[in-house]
Amino acid sequence: MKLKHGSFGKTLIAASTLMAALGVQAETLKIGIAGPVTGPVAQYGDMQKIGAIMAIDKINEAGGINGMTLEGVIYDDACDPKQAVAVANRIVNDEIRHVIGHLCSSSTEPASDIYEEEGVMMITAASTSPSITEKGHQLIFRTIGLDSLQGTLAAEYIKDNIKPQRLAVIHDKQQYGEGLATTVKNLLAEAGTEAVMFEGVTPGDKDFSALIAKLKRNDVDFVYYGGYHPELGLILRQSREKGFDAPFMGPEGVVNSDLAAIAGEAMEGVLATAPKSFDQSPENAALVEAFKARNEDPSGPFVFPAYSAIQVMTEAMKATGSTDPYELADHLRANRFNTTIGEIGFDAKGDLTEPTFEIYTLHADGSKTPVSE
Amino acid sequence: MTETSLYVLQQLINGLTIGSTYALIAIGYTMVYGIIGMINFAHGEVYMIGTYTAFITIIGLLTMGVGSLPIVMLLALMTAIIISSTYGYAIERVAYRPLRGGPRLIPLITAIGMSIFLQNYIRLAQGSRDLAMPALVSGGIQFGDPAVFEVSISWMQLIIWVVTLISMTALALFISRSRLGRACRACAQDLKMTNLLGIDTNRIIALTFVIGAALAAVAGVLLGLYYGTINPYIGFMAGLKAFTAAVLGGIGSIPGAMLGGLILGVTEALTAAFFPSEYKDVVAFSLLVLILLFRPTGLLGKPEVEKV
Amino acid sequence: MQRALFPALFAAGVTFLLTCLVIGVRLEQEGPNLTVVGADAETWSWIGFAVIVVFLFQLFQQPLSRLKQRLPSPDVTGLLPDHKLRARLRPWLIALVVVGLFVWPFMVSRGAVDLATLTLIYVMLGLGLNIVVGFAGLLDLGYVAFYAVGAYTYALLSEYYGLSFWVCLPIAGLLAATFGCILGFPVLRLRGDYLAIVTLGFGEIIRILLNNWTNVTGGPNGIGGIEKPSLFGLEFSRRASEGGQTFHEFFGISYNSSHKVIFLYLVAVLLVLLTIYVINRIQRMPIGRAWEALREDEIACRSLGLNPTVIKLSAFTMGASFAGFAGCFFAARQGFISPESFTFIESAIILAIVVLGGMGSQLGVILAAIAMTILPELAREFQEYRMLMFGGVMVLMMLWRPQGLLPMKRPHLELKTS
Repeated sequence: MKLKHGSFGKTLIAASTLMAALGVQAETLKIGIAGPVTGPVAQYGDMQKIGAIMAIDKINEAGGINGMTLEGVIYDDACDPKQAVAVANRIVNDEIRHVIGHLCSSSTEPASDIYEEEGVMMITAASTSPSITEKGHQLIFRTIGLDSLQGTLAAEYIKDNIKPQRLAVIHDKQQYGEGLATTVKNLLAEAGTEAVMFEGVTPGDKDFSALIAKLKRNDVDFVYYGGYHPELGLILRQSREKGFDAPFMGPEGVVNSDLAAIAGEAMEGVLATAPKSFDQSPENAALVEAFKARNEDPSGPFVFPAYSAIQVMTEAMKATGSTDPYELADHLRANRFNTTIGEIGFDAKGDLTEPTFEIYTLHADGSKTPVSE
Repeated sequence: MTETSLYVLQQLINGLTIGSTYALIAIGYTMVYGIIGMINFAHGEVYMIGTYTAFITIIGLLTMGVGSLPIVMLLALMTAIIISSTYGYAIERVAYRPLRGGPRLIPLITAIGMSIFLQNYIRLAQGSRDLAMPALVSGGIQFGDPAVFEVSISWMQLIIWVVTLISMTALALFISRSRLGRACRACAQDLKMTNLLGIDTNRIIALTFVIGAALAAVAGVLLGLYYGTINPYIGFMAGLKAFTAAVLGGIGSIPGAMLGGLILGVTEALTAAFFPSEYKDVVAFSLLVLILLFRPTGLLGKPEVEKV
Repeated sequence: MQRALFPALFAAGVTFLLTCLVIGVRLEQEGPNLTVVGADAETWSWIGFAVIVVFLFQLFQQPLSRLKQRLPSPDVTGLLPDHKLRARLRPWLIALVVVGLFVWPFMVSRGAVDLATLTLIYVMLGLGLNIVVGFAGLLDLGYVAFYAVGAYTYALLSEYYGLSFWVCLPIAGLLAATFGCILGFPVLRLRGDYLAIVTLGFGEIIRILLNNWTNVTGGPNGIGGIEKPSLFGLEFSRRASEGGQTFHEFFGISYNSSHKVIFLYLVAVLLVLLTIYVINRIQRMPIGRAWEALREDEIACRSLGLNPTVIKLSAFTMGASFAGFAGCFFAARQGFISPESFTFIESAIILAIVVLGGMGSQLGVILAAIAMTILPELAREFQEYRMLMFGGVMVLMMLWRPQGLLPMKRPHLELKTS
């Protein structure tokens, strides 16, 4: 996942020299790309970055927008809420009025308040916490489904198809994971399936043997895990070693080729809700090739949402002939767009009008197949 | 046996496994503290580097076609020990030795700086994502009635116990029997006096860093094989836990570090067994506070004599 | 030269071992398969270069160090004018700095003001911890716990009871102080490093509890939408809340969002000035003297009839209350807080500020706080190398000036014999 150092910088330089060579006296429009460049989740920041940069390059190749060329400016918030506020203020300060980001919901939330206040449009391609769009902000959008949608989908599937007798819901105590796990637990409780276990694990922990022994003791026959792949991978791996083999289900945060690497054979048959795998859809084949030509991995869950975020933003600029965030926001709410993540529209809150999640079965070789109902 | 006792037995087994590795890392903290009285916060990173080295060696050997498991593990252990000890030595040489004799807090800050530096150094060199290796040793023994509760011990857990036991015994013999070990003990008693008696204390101090790093590397290899995943951030938490174990047992005391590690591991496992597992760190730290309240110098620590 | 050859070879060998496997070989994950790849020729030539540099440096270390001795060592005190002149200039200088602090934000960009606000939070934290570590000599690795208490006090009171920033500020300070007192009482009989680890444990316990107590604190979701402070009831938002009035409407000027940023900054300046003033006073009071006496010699203190527990506890409580103020302000500036902001590394950075500044020296702590917050921001240009440099600079700074930037000087009189 980690790119060669400076490959992004080189692209930028290459793009700008190209423009200079062509003698284009175009105005540049800066677009902020805010997310973690350093820190433990830098790899997710990378996904957002390569998607957005690819979209910007493609648009520049096609002649830019309204006579302007786009330029992506990277800001590092390290997924730290404190730094996110500093970054947001910096972006406002640098007079950038269009932002793709942030990545972690805990960073996006404080940053979005500042953007809204300052009239900056922000489209996040990765933050799935419902509370971000619940404040009635005008300029905040997202090109990814909500946690709650995923939770609902998972709960319905479990209720209708699995019908577990002894359900366990485990989460990683982070905003994303616990939010999802709570939704699933509550929905299933309403449907009459009380979880026999509901507890958190510490993110970054390596030893889950105690938890697994407890799962075994409670005769759990189905586990829903809210969180990311490193912990689930280890839980799966250690479960199989200890002879605990109930089926698992997880959210999109676990759908990652690394899960297969960590869990190995234990991954076969794990269920997950995930956005449609955009890199598999035939319309995006050319784009996937373009990513591969740059030695970048297009399979990450945030690559295409980030690409689409740039797409809808620039579509709106074209249609309105303006870069004013308020005009763009009105346009985004009123229209539908054809993007790499399919045809999408936004509701009044700024969320996608249709969920983009599906249920998949994951396989030990890292691939996934949709579950046929 | 009843279901509950089998369950507790299983949790004890899990706790002892994790506890033995805490103990291995804790030795590094306690030896350094015993001699120069400083907390080497970068020690967790040495453990992390040991794990990375082991991964590189194992994968390298496997791609070269060396299939014999004992040979692969032995070579991984040796490489990890060599590289980690070099790091232990270099850290001492660069970040602590120039500050020796100054106020005690100064090396603590360089240690924290060193820890941030090493973490990011590995992140830049090896990437920040989790890397995973297929299990080399799988399977184990099961006993107990499957209808009641089946207790399982994996081979890897057995290997961890055996290797920990061997390392600890070797260390104990080294400290109590060899000339250098005697010099170490002398340094711990009185650094200045030892120096006056013609022992190169600088070399002994470097040696304690090397021994600590080597044991951390052993823990790194074992845990790397046991969990099968690594990232550059594993050193921090492991270091914190091991440090807690060292203080619990009485910092400066080698048997104390062993005991502290085991107690901490077992406490965590038993907490996770009967309470929500998110509270296991709270219980671990509370236990530490409680023990220190009743024995202010840890379980096996010597009471400090106040000197005027 | 020949005597230096062996150590030089040894050092070069060590450097090679340090770099060969970790940098020279990379682990690559391709789906489920892990492979090792040798680094490219460029990386290897860098490794070779590093080995040669270390070798040569060790080989010529003696001539180099002799050369270094001839160079003047950095001496900050020499740059300052002499004592009498300084005493005369002092009030003017302070006045100048204070005026500068108030005028400055109106001339620079919003991002700079915001960064300055963050710096001032760290100044406050550094000064608070300085009482505990610098004055009283108690190593506290869990200082961030009190910072968290302050932040959550304001966030919760504002969320559930709608109390304003100015009401919550003293409450946050008091509550943090109470926590300091409660936590301090049992642990203060521990000494030195045992105290350090217990405070570290407390810091972690508080963070984990905040994270797990989801019903009240929102757990990992944190608390959002925290109100910003107001100026005598005037709000700094675009639109007034129900029954409120905004700053720009009251003065009949057009709305400018940088007013809010500057106002927050000015509040921070006031808080910092207050902190400095209070600490300066206390330092000269008997209790302040007792702190330092205790740090220097506990047994002597006891034999002079001072009660060490009470003295330590007062330092702990006082330090905690300033963290509470800082936390309350942090929550207001941030508008959103979650337990992630209160991890151990935060404590470590505050401690680094105190030690780097020269323990006990207020000016030093302020300078160090500025350095520690501005440095990572300046290093932003280096993108992913940023934290690597931060760690490296921390080590180098301590090696360069182990006594801190501006070591504390106590006024003392000397009897001259001649």
